[in-house]
Amino acid sequence: MISFIIFFFFAAVAVIFAAMVVLHRNPVVGALSLVASFFALAVMYVLLEAPFLAALQVIVYAGAIMVLFLFVIMLLNLQHQAEPHTRPVQQFLGYTSSAAFGLALIYYLAKFGVTKLPEGVFVADARTVGIRMFEAYIFPFEMVSILLLAAIVGALILSGRTGISSTQGSPSASVPSTKMPPATPASTHSEEVR
Amino acid sequence: MIPTHWFLILSAILFTIGVCGVLTRRNGITIFMCIELMVNAVNLTFVAYARQFHQIHGLIFVFFIMAIAAAEAAVGLAIFISLFHHRHTIDVDEANLMRW
Repeated sequence: MISFIIFFFFAAVAVIFAAMVVLHRNPVVGALSLVASFFALAVMYVLLEAPFLAALQVIVYAGAIMVLFLFVIMLLNLQHQAEPHTRPVQQFLGYTSSAAFGLALIYYLAKFGVTKLPEGVFVADARTVGIRMFEAYIFPFEMVSILLLAAIVGALILSGRTGISSTQGSPSASVPSTKMPPATPASTHSEEVR
Repeated sequence: MIPTHWFLILSAILFTIGVCGVLTRRNGITIFMCIELMVNAVNLTFVAYARQFHQIHGLIFVFFIMAIAAAEAAVGLAIFISLFHHRHTIDVDEANLMRW
């Protein structure tokens, strides 16, 4: 009984703050509402007996990704730029088509979704997930790590103000002697690019 | 214990809000946040079905989706910073260099 109350309260929180992301015109308010919505989703993961993923949701999404969003919003100083209003035809078509899509989705979920409760206990703590991940999913895990490295390099190249050619000639000048020890070829390359 | 289809319906509502935001807003970063909202709705579906069928693969997929969303956020925000440097706006209607 208490879990139903928790479910409905946090479902309402998630939906209201998600709607705030769409409806509010200030992107900082939108980002903070999205953080609140992600916290409510972490509560949903706890209710679904996945506490490890709830912790990951709070740490990775609410802690890392949304802080990145907030940094970029404040770096670009977007508050002083009023967002122009959307064209009425785009607004009308967007709202009606997404409402139709959502109603169809909920209708088919209510009609064909699974309704019986799962039997037995489902253990999904960090130990179980970790053992399965490092046995069966070790290759995708390594692929994801390479993807993250590529994303870091891509973000550095895309957001750098100076071009590659300006630092190409003098690599020694562009590598300041900061905390990096005598670097491996890969890290010197990324420093050069930046 | 809460039935699975309630979580699925909540996930459908969140996904629809995300679709609505992508279709009606013009601020690039807001559109990006709505994409994150849709990714989270799909994550909720994965976790709900993982509990329903006692499959731990769904949780591992959610882990990978979170890592990929982090990479996507890094690259996408870098693209918006670059766009802001060139156009001094992040209105996606202004980014029409490759339209015609």
